[in-house]
Amino acid sequence: MLVLPLLTACALALPELKPAPIPLERPLNLVGDVNLAQTVQAPPESALIEIGVQVFGTAQKKEGEYKIGDWVFDEIIQKETQFLPHLLKNTLVASNQWGAIRVIPERDPSLDLIVEGQIIQSDGETLELQIRAIDSSGREWLNRTYADQSIQEEYPESTRFTLENTFDAINFVDPFQDIYNRIANDLVAVSIRLGEQTLVDLNLVTDMLYASDLSPDTFSGSIIKNEDGLLLVDTLPSLDDPMMARVADMKYRHHLFIDTVDEYYQTLYDDIQPAYVLWRRYSIDQISEIETSRQEAGRSDYGGSSGFLSLSQRYDRFKWSKIFEREFSDLAAGFNNELAPAFLELNSQVHGLTGTMEQQYREWRGILRRIFELENGEITPDVTE
Amino acid sequence: MLIKVVNGAQKLGRVPNSLASIVTALCLTLSISAFSQDSLPQLDLNLPLRLDFSGSWEKDFRRSDNWEDELSRTLRIRQESATRQQSSPGSSRGRSALPISIGNVNLPRSRGRGANIVDLARLAEYISRNSVIDIIQTRDEISIQRNGEATLICGVEYKMQQIFANEHGIEVCAWEGQQLVFQITLPDDLIIMHRFTVSSNQLVLNILTSIFSKGGEPFNLIQAFNKYEAPRDEFSCIQTLSRGQVCSQAGTDLSTVLDDF
Repeated sequence: MLVLPLLTACALALPELKPAPIPLERPLNLVGDVNLAQTVQAPPESALIEIGVQVFGTAQKKEGEYKIGDWVFDEIIQKETQFLPHLLKNTLVASNQWGAIRVIPERDPSLDLIVEGQIIQSDGETLELQIRAIDSSGREWLNRTYADQSIQEEYPESTRFTLENTFDAINFVDPFQDIYNRIANDLVAVSIRLGEQTLVDLNLVTDMLYASDLSPDTFSGSIIKNEDGLLLVDTLPSLDDPMMARVADMKYRHHLFIDTVDEYYQTLYDDIQPAYVLWRRYSIDQISEIETSRQEAGRSDYGGSSGFLSLSQRYDRFKWSKIFEREFSDLAAGFNNELAPAFLELNSQVHGLTGTMEQQYREWRGILRRIFELENGEITPDVTE
Repeated sequence: MLIKVVNGAQKLGRVPNSLASIVTALCLTLSISAFSQDSLPQLDLNLPLRLDFSGSWEKDFRRSDNWEDELSRTLRIRQESATRQQSSPGSSRGRSALPISIGNVNLPRSRGRGANIVDLARLAEYISRNSVIDIIQTRDEISIQRNGEATLICGVEYKMQQIFANEHGIEVCAWEGQQLVFQITLPDDLIIMHRFTVSSNQLVLNILTSIFSKGGEPFNLIQAFNKYEAPRDEFSCIQTLSRGQVCSQAGTDLSTVLDDF
């Protein structure tokens, strides 16, 4: 039988209950209302920049910042790292100022400009991104944080979709579209400042960098660093150089591959967009609810009353706020559950390649490099095996 | 594998005991090393081992406190204590008077402006109405689910853990030996404490709920629960965001169910 060691209850040494723990307000670098700078006439082909928007990263939390259940929300941010770049890509495409733009899993030496991002904060109300853009010569185009805040009115009624009220993806404008517009406009401003000749030169640097990535022994000598640390093409092979023709052929195949990868990210976004928008809608509702609750708590005066009604009200407020947060956590877990098949699909797309999209991408680059070596007679032991 | 070792040792019954024990020890050593080569999960020794609270529990009303009886008992003890103090000469000087009850109502507060014992008792009853509890326990975490109440969750670590905090209250939990303690601090210094204890055979669960107001004497209520075998769910469900709960018959792979949508 149970020997009941029920001691006279003594309270744990506790932190004092403090007034509403309002999160620390960080000054946000809000972008405001931004119209996308679009052009009808795209730049000349020789000056067209090919952009890779790399899958985003996340800001690391410090130890001690984690609470039980936080992993659910971390998982959502991890998923956002894969599809928020797609929104930026679509905005860049809409501006009509660039060459091909793709979402890529990793840095790619065949592209002129790589845009990297880190999600600092993302919920239904606030999106804050750290964006860095660097071109193939090593020049930094952008390195700053962008933030935007949404309001409930930016989530149309169709975001509360049901079987009867379906989500209207075509007419839906992302509540944080201003961020992507601002980034796109900032990139255009840099390209205008650099001028057409610099962009043409940049294309050459990218070509030689890619050639050097395929065959470092042959091409690495043709690129040098100037006094500013930027890469320049030192010697150019002749136009009819057969090696360069093979490099161009490899680059074409490689771009076919990364075009396909980009399509997978597009499919992923199309698949999950309704659930994602619904999630953000819940998130902004939750934030608004917390704010209301905080204001109510500020107005409550328990001081004079200690009757049963007052005690039970205190308990109920606490209980319901906890239940509400728990439900929100469950919704977050539900969102992750719903997205799981789409991510599985993404990672099993490329026939013959295995692993995550990042691993498949690395595998593909390795295959291309080996094909190039084979075609040029530079057979490595790896290939002969 | 272990059974084989035991049988082997039995077959050695006619050989001298010392030899048999050496062979047994050798076999056991071999079997242990064979086990270690298996892909068994490694035990994280940094996490303490806790008693198993998991399962479905139903209230044993016979062995649980009745809140009114417990209130009467508490009042009687207090009254007797007050009477003793009054009868002993000089005892009332320099000490704040303990509450004196007049019947069962309108008692003075135990200390300062704290809530009176009747209100604390009613609150204890109010938050202990659940007659069924489900507890899920893993190697890292314990989760106590009660209908209509917020789930109590605690890790198994040694240190005190803050589980939830907002303007309405702070909830912390800690392990005291093998007892699991949750403490909720509400505004105006109202503290609710749940102390969970499980019997060594894991068939009886006890919860001591104590309610303190402004540091005064607590009201305690003990509830006893017996373990019962909850019927197995016919369906296994998974929560999704846009489709709510997606269920299938138990045993079906839910990822295929999600794919079918």
